[in-house]
Amino acid sequence: MSTHTDTRSDTLGTQGFESDLRRYLRGLGGLAVFLLVWWVGAMVTQPSYLVPSPLESVRAFVDLFANTTSIVVPISGSNLVLPTGLAHLTETLFHYVPGLLLGASCGIGLGLVMGWNGTLDDWLRPLIRVLRPIPPLAWIVFAIVWFGIHHTGAAFIVFVGAFWINFYGAYGGVEGVSSELTDAASMLGVERDLSMLKLVALPSAAPQVLTGFRTSIGRCWMIVVGAELFGAPGVGYEIINASNNLAMATSVAYMFLISLAFLCMDVGFRLLEGRVLAWR
Amino acid sequence: MALSSESSNSREPREKITVRNVSRAYDSTKALENVSLSVGEGEFCCIVGPSGCGKTTLLRAIAGLDDPDSGSILVGGDPVTGPGLDRGMVFQEYALFPWRTVRGNIRFGLDRPACGCPDCEARARELIELVGLEGFEDAYPKELSGGMKQRVGIARALAPDPEILLMDEPFGSVDARTRDRLHAELLDIWAQTEQTVVFVTHDIDEAVMLADRVVVMDADPGTVQSTVSIDVERPRERTAHDFVEHVAQIRAELGEPRPH
Repeated sequence: MSTHTDTRSDTLGTQGFESDLRRYLRGLGGLAVFLLVWWVGAMVTQPSYLVPSPLESVRAFVDLFANTTSIVVPISGSNLVLPTGLAHLTETLFHYVPGLLLGASCGIGLGLVMGWNGTLDDWLRPLIRVLRPIPPLAWIVFAIVWFGIHHTGAAFIVFVGAFWINFYGAYGGVEGVSSELTDAASMLGVERDLSMLKLVALPSAAPQVLTGFRTSIGRCWMIVVGAELFGAPGVGYEIINASNNLAMATSVAYMFLISLAFLCMDVGFRLLEGRVLAWR
Repeated sequence: MALSSESSNSREPREKITVRNVSRAYDSTKALENVSLSVGEGEFCCIVGPSGCGKTTLLRAIAGLDDPDSGSILVGGDPVTGPGLDRGMVFQEYALFPWRTVRGNIRFGLDRPACGCPDCEARARELIELVGLEGFEDAYPKELSGGMKQRVGIARALAPDPEILLMDEPFGSVDARTRDRLHAELLDIWAQTEQTVVFVTHDIDEAVMLADRVVVMDADPGTVQSTVSIDVERPRERTAHDFVEHVAQIRAELGEPRPH
């Protein structure tokens, strides 16, 4: 009897492995086809600088780490010497991270309170309807006249982008809190609104809040590059800077770098999310 | 001392819950109309009736989760103005906090400042034992069966040691065998804690199995039709003559045909 079940679970395991393997092979196949099309495209396109070949791009990527560049750390004003690619990525993070964290905090905060408090919701809902459709990058004009297009201005644009995504995550999450759970909590002695928000609404909304934040990680990369195309220092600025010198391979290398940075953050955050939401 | 001997000697138990002329309407539906009812201290009272007879509304009003349009509800002589730790509630769909473990759910009511338990962890352990969930302390609700979830629901409601346990069709979503076991366990717990229990159900068998007294309600508008005392000794057998008689009596009150 036991050998029988063992064999069966073995076959199941093999099947799972086989289907995983098939998925990986297909994925690799897709990548290979893409590289081939890119490579052929690069060969036939004239003049050749229009489409850098995969090999040139990889070489440019490696070159990003061959030399060092000195960047200025905001606030402290001290200099920091890093491999060129990392240096510009760090410059981006100097406005990306504060913009994201501040925007997410404010968005989550307002979303929770508005989703919870009907009166505040009544007051602010029309205003939000009007402000929401404005693309974050449209605020660049104010970023420029208020802060100048440097770290603060770019952080402001990222802030706007992070704010809305996180706002809607939290707002929707709190709106979806089941009345049965709040009833159960009030039967167990939760009286004040603030305690209810902390003990029931927030944990109950956590999945949506975290999904909102994860979405904003990706969206803010798009926004931050947009802001840097206007002149804020960082990887986005390097993309346009390189293309101005017709060094398209370097532009592609910076695009890789952005993709890599995003992937690392996304994977890291997913791991964190899985641990926080183990109860789901 | 004098007080306790007096209360145990008195034939009529002291009134724990008094519902006086309560009415409640939602839009055009009269969920409750002029409902009066009293439940004695330590009594196990079941409320039965067809769906829409307002039995859940009545229970929620006693809980303080719903405000009647008129009439008054007294618990221990004081008017109900909202939920309180003197009343514990067990919900039909469990209403467990999915992000908290079994222990975390049970401790929810103990972690409030209102609770003055000297050793909350010991109290939680005691409750887990009481409902037979040893070994599942760290499980999340999604990992539990319906019957186990409701055991957590009961332990959580019992945690702040309420004088009254309000139960809203608590075993409606568990299978028949588990329900029988839960009935026996609930009666055991009730015998130990001597709480006043108000138990809402649409299952007449369940009501006769559990209750000292069954309140029969009628729908549209929701009114109390009659109350039936169940003077059958526990443990009760569904097949016993007097059990069957009580079920038939309530069925007749509800205007349902006798099964052949």
